[in-house]
Amino acid sequence: MVYYIYDGSFEGLLTAIYEAYYRHQNPEKILSSDSIQDNLFIQHVYIKADQEKAERVYSAIVHKISLAAAKKVLYAFLSESPDAATAIYRYLKLGFKLGKSVDSALADPYVFRVHALHKKVSQEAGKMLGLVRFRLLKNGIFYAPIEPDFNILGIIVPHFKRRMSAHDWIIHDLKRKIAAFYSQGQYIIVPFELSGALPLDEEEFDYQTLWKEYFQNIAIQSRINPRLQRQFMPVRYWKHLIEKPGTHDKA
Amino acid sequence: MDLHTKLKILGAAAKYDVSCSSSGSSRRNRPGGLGNASLPGICHSWSDDGRCISLLKILFTNRCVFNCLYCVNRATADVPRATFTPDEVAQLTINFYKRNYIEGLFLSSAVYKNPDYTMELLIATVKKLRNQYHFNGYIHLKVIPGADPLLIAEAGKYVDRLSVNIELPSSQGLQLLAPQKNRDSIIRPMEFIHSKILQTREERKLYKSTPLFVPAGQTTQLIVGATPDNDLKILKLSESLYKRFSLKRVYYSAYVPVTQHPNLPAISSPPLMREHRLYQADWLLRFYGFKADELLDENQPLLNTEIDPKSAWALRNLHLFPVEVNSADYEMLLRVPGIGVRSAKRIIAARRYSSIDFETLKRFGVVLKRARHFITCRGKFYGERNIDELTLYQMLKPSSSQSSGAKPSSEQLTFSSLYPHLFQPQDFHTVITGEM
Ligand code: SF4
Repeated sequence: MVYYIYDGSFEGLLTAIYEAYYRHQNPEKILSSDSIQDNLFIQHVYIKADQEKAERVYSAIVHKISLAAAKKVLYAFLSESPDAATAIYRYLKLGFKLGKSVDSALADPYVFRVHALHKKVSQEAGKMLGLVRFRLLKNGIFYAPIEPDFNILGIIVPHFKRRMSAHDWIIHDLKRKIAAFYSQGQYIIVPFELSGALPLDEEEFDYQTLWKEYFQNIAIQSRINPRLQRQFMPVRYWKHLIEKPGTHDKA
Repeated sequence: MDLHTKLKILGAAAKYDVSCSSSGSSRRNRPGGLGNASLPGICHSWSDDGRCISLLKILFTNRCVFNCLYCVNRATADVPRATFTPDEVAQLTINFYKRNYIEGLFLSSAVYKNPDYTMELLIATVKKLRNQYHFNGYIHLKVIPGADPLLIAEAGKYVDRLSVNIELPSSQGLQLLAPQKNRDSIIRPMEFIHSKILQTREERKLYKSTPLFVPAGQTTQLIVGATPDNDLKILKLSESLYKRFSLKRVYYSAYVPVTQHPNLPAISSPPLMREHRLYQADWLLRFYGFKADELLDENQPLLNTEIDPKSAWALRNLHLFPVEVNSADYEMLLRVPGIGVRSAKRIIAARRYSSIDFETLKRFGVVLKRARHFITCRGKFYGERNIDELTLYQMLKPSSSQSSGAKPSSEQLTFSSLYPHLFQPQDFHTVITGEM
């Protein structure tokens, strides 16, 4: 039995898929190098990421399957789920056979898995569009820390690029230690860590207070429903919100 | 009075307005401008009562010359009063928006001095936001009942959505509880907005440069449980509003007892379950192809609070079931309890490729606990045989642990992706979690 091990990058995964095809091998699993466990009966084949091979696979997906499939694959990958790479591999294998109708073959467990992962990731990305909270820093830059379950930074950045085009801003994924820096129509995503607290603009406190007060005031007392609130806005996201859910005026 | 106090008073005063939706408009940002309106709408937070916060929802003022009995702001009520200036509203909106607290502004108002005067203040505010602050985010504006149509036409040029509140489902109700409002002052503006939307749409076909007019359409809201009007009457009203004025949404708001009066019902808590059932039934009207007459009739004018309206309908129509999932048409699949829009679509898509087995249904999100009584799968029936309607009713009823507390009444948007080069317009069609 053969497992393919790739370096954890999207290019690495696509390269592994390329190799599986051209070596006529049918790896049982494709795993990221940080999620392997030793097992005597399994042969590990290490795959080195190769930009050119990755691009060929990507364009094959777009042309032979569909753009929608390429997007599903990327999103499933961004879930960072240990079984994502294998599911993607099998999904694509079937996709190269069936073309774009692969997305109707929902009875296939791998197709279904890729769809499910895609959905989870896009749902979190969608939620994050609302839950990002910028703070205005002394130097006029807007800064927002986030800690999403999935690696969705790259998905949400274009939204803020359209919306906040005339301002400079940073969205910082503390969990993955990466940040998107935007200025004047351009952005980059780079590894990033903070060494200390950031100095806030004076106005900032006033608006934070206004927002907190507004938030506490609009809940209807006879309808307080913490369960529902948590269902929509899981507690793990609360840390970086300015408002403090669960603190409605008792008056 | 400082801004903090004003926001407290005028935010709290607006909270009974249920519409949170920021959807239906895709306004683009312009160079140097701030913001855009996102088609599927975005929730930015959820308040302690579990409602989505999307827009900064405030009243311009709560000083009112009207005296609607169900309203905290009625002229005779003893409450603290406040009034914003157009610039204060604009500043708040801009600064909240930049910090990504909100998706835009929902501005409403009590009737200050008279309807036209108030409407002019609201227009001044949205004009300032658009022209002076270059704000391109979402704006929803309430139409003040009785305001001049010319003012409504002016307002419509700057906002994404207009709404006129129906408030109460019948003229008698209005007479009794909101004597200064009447059916005409509500229906006429709706009619006017509708015809203006149609006219603009035609003109834009000919001249691309015709300015937009409320691109996200109009909605309305009505209060449930403040008058004796039954659910049949309410649903019929909604149905005709959707049909006649192409309303985007009718919002239902359970009456929150804020005061006592002989003309008001004596209840201690808002009828949340009834509100929830009305939303479900409304959903059936809009997305499931049901008619109000199918759900209720004169003998049975109230929605069952114990089971959802679709199950109730199916139980009355057992002769139509079971249906075979591998051959039933889409319309019929949608009518099966436990099959929602998403799972029905999946079934239709997947069976083109291969016939569907029972296991697959589960993965498609079909709630088999309910659906199995109404379907066959490859000819096989998985429900209980020979059971009567009553037993089935008991089985469809949620257990008491499940039914405690009201379920979410707002629909949530499952939003997809934004990678521009991977962008697919059909992403916006996945809307439903209100699966039934
Ligand atoms: S007009 Fe509006 S604010 Fe004034 S009392 Fe009636 S419902 Fe309340």
